[in-house]
Amino acid sequence: MAILLAPGGSPEAVHAALDAGADAVYVGLKGWSRGGGRGELTWEQLVTCQHRVASTGRELQIAINIIPKRQERAWLFEYIPPLLDLGIRTLIVNDVGILRWLRRQFPAVRLTASIGCGAETVSDVAFFRDLGADAVVLPGTVSPDEIREIRAVQGIAIEVMVHMVEEFVLLGKCWMPSYVHLKPSPLPERAHASGIPEGADRGLRLTGSMKRGGVGACFKICQQPWELFENDRWRDTRLFPSRQISRMAEVRAYVEAGAGILKLQGRSLPIEQLRPLVRRYRDILDGRSATQMVGEPAALPVSWTVIGR
Amino acid sequence: MTTEPKAMNYELNTSIANLRDLRASDLSAYDAIYLGDIFCRLYEGNFLERSEDLREGIHILHDQGKRAYVATYAAPRNDFLPRIRKVLEVAAAAGAHAVEVHNLGILKIAHDEFPGLPTHIGGFANVYTDAGVEVLGGLGAVRFTPNYELSLDEIHEITAACKVPMELLVHGKMPLGISDYCFLLEYEEKWGVKCPDLCQKDLFLRQGDWAMKSVGKGILSGKDVCMLEHLPRLVADDHRHFRIETVSETPVYRREIAAVYRRALACAMEGPMEQDPDWWQVLRSHARVGLCNGFYFGKSGMDYAGIRPEALGSFLTISPSMQ
Repeated sequence: MAILLAPGGSPEAVHAALDAGADAVYVGLKGWSRGGGRGELTWEQLVTCQHRVASTGRELQIAINIIPKRQERAWLFEYIPPLLDLGIRTLIVNDVGILRWLRRQFPAVRLTASIGCGAETVSDVAFFRDLGADAVVLPGTVSPDEIREIRAVQGIAIEVMVHMVEEFVLLGKCWMPSYVHLKPSPLPERAHASGIPEGADRGLRLTGSMKRGGVGACFKICQQPWELFENDRWRDTRLFPSRQISRMAEVRAYVEAGAGILKLQGRSLPIEQLRPLVRRYRDILDGRSATQMVGEPAALPVSWTVIGR
Repeated sequence: MTTEPKAMNYELNTSIANLRDLRASDLSAYDAIYLGDIFCRLYEGNFLERSEDLREGIHILHDQGKRAYVATYAAPRNDFLPRIRKVLEVAAAAGAHAVEVHNLGILKIAHDEFPGLPTHIGGFANVYTDAGVEVLGGLGAVRFTPNYELSLDEIHEITAACKVPMELLVHGKMPLGISDYCFLLEYEEKWGVKCPDLCQKDLFLRQGDWAMKSVGKGILSGKDVCMLEHLPRLVADDHRHFRIETVSETPVYRREIAAVYRRALACAMEGPMEQDPDWWQVLRSHARVGLCNGFYFGKSGMDYAGIRPEALGSFLTISPSMQ
C-alpha cells in the first residue's frame, strides 16, 4: 500500500491532515525550509506535532530543503541530533552536498531528495540512489508509464507529487524572480547564540530563488500578464501557462507503476482546503468509490481534478 | 586535419546550436565552442539530434584549432536518454574535449558509461556551494558553471574551498529558467509559423519596465549580462574560463562581441585595462534591452553596478503608440 504524505504548514494543519487520513505529514523547520516563513513550524511546535503524530503511529517528516552557505551548514547540522532524539526519521533535502554530508554523518536517517532537486528521469533517480537518498520526489507531470521505467532503479523509494501547481518554469530551475528583485535575508536566529546582539547585522544567507530555500522569495512574476513582442512589434498580452495538477484519476496507475509514496503539495493551504484534499486522496487510495466515501464527498475546486492546461 | 588548440592562459567560449550557425560564424576570437541547444529537442537543426552534424561540427572546430565541447539537455525526460547516450557516444568518438552537463542523471551516464569524457557542469545543475562541487567533482566533473544567482564573493568562497576552475558568463543573455512546455506552439496557427521556426524569431516578454527573452522552452534575461569593465577583477580572482552566451544570437553578434572581449581580456591579463570607447559602442549596439551584471554583485540580476550603466537598449522605450 502506498503512503499518503500530506503537507502541514501549521500545527493545526498537521492535525487536520492526520484526521483526514494522511499516513505521514511533512513540515518545515522554521528558518530551514524552502519557501521561507510560508508554513514553517517553530521548534516548540514541531515537538508538539511530533508527539501527536507519533502517538497515532504515523510519521512526521521534516523539510530542511534550503541550500545553506558554508558557515550556516554547521548550525543546521546542530539540529539533526535533537531531531533524531525526538523520533524524527525522515529529512527532506534539496542540495546534493547537504544530502551526501547527512548520509555520511547520520547513516540512520532517512533522506528524501526534494522535488527541488529536479529529478525526472530514471538516471536522475539512480544518481540520487547512489548519493545515498532513500527516496526521491518526482513531479506529477511524470506519467505512470515513466514511473514504471523509473521503478527499475532498485534501492530507493519513489514519491510522486500528485497534487501540485505546475508553473511554466520547472521547479528548481527558475531564477526569474531574483532577476527582477532580490530580497536579501539575514542569517537565521542561531547566530544569536554566538554572541551577536539582537538587531545587529549578522550577515546574509544565500539570496535568490526559491531553490535556495528559506531566503528564497517567489514574487509570482510568472503569474502576471506579459506583453509579447516580436522585435519591436506587440503581438499579444498573455500569462505563462500554469496549471493545478491533481492526478486523482491516476492514483491506482501510479501505485501499480511503483510509486511508494503519494505526496500532496501545499504547506500554505488553509485547513478548510487541506482537509478535503487529504480525505479525497485517502478515499481513492483505499479504493472507496464516490458512493462508498464516508460522509459528504470532499468538496474540491473543479480545477483540482483536471490536468488539462 | 585536426590541430590542437594553442596553449592558452584563458579561454573565451560560446555556444552554437546548429551546423548552419556554426558555418556562418566567424569564430576567430573564441577558443572553444559548446555545440547544441540545451532547451529543446525540436530546435532547428539542433546538433544534439543530428549525429552527422555533430561529428561535422566537432571536426570543423578541430580544423580551426578550437576546443569542441558538446552541450546536453538541461531538463531531459526518460525518452531523451537513448538520444543523449548517442550524443555522448558521438562526442567521445569524434574527439570532443568535454561535454557540458546540466542534469545530474546525465552526469551519472557520462561518468558510468563514458569515463574518458571530461564533463563541465552547466548553470542549470544548481551548483551553489562547495559541498555541491565536491559531490559532482567526485563524478568526474572538471569545470563548473556556478548557478547564475551566485555573487562573485560567493563564487570565491567555493573556489577558496575547492580549488576548482569555474566558468563564468561574462556577456550575453543569462538563462533564467527552463520549461517542459513551449508556449510558442500556441501561436503556430495564429501567426502561420510552424515549429521550429517560431523560436527563431526575436521574441521578448515585457512586464512594465523590464523584459526577458523567450526561446520557447527557455527564458533568458532581456538585458545582456556585461562584465567588460569588471574583467580585471575576474582575472584577479583567478578566473580563466569565460563564456559569451550567444545561442539565440546572430553570427554578427557572436563575432563582434567576442572581438571586444578578446581585446579586453588580453589587456586585463597583461595589466591595467583601459577601456576603449569603441568597445562600448559595439556592446550597446547589440543590447536591445540594455546591460546588466547578472547576480555577480549581490544585486538583482537585471541591475548594473559600474561606471557604464548608460547602455540602455531601445526596446524598453517603445511607447504604446508604437505597439
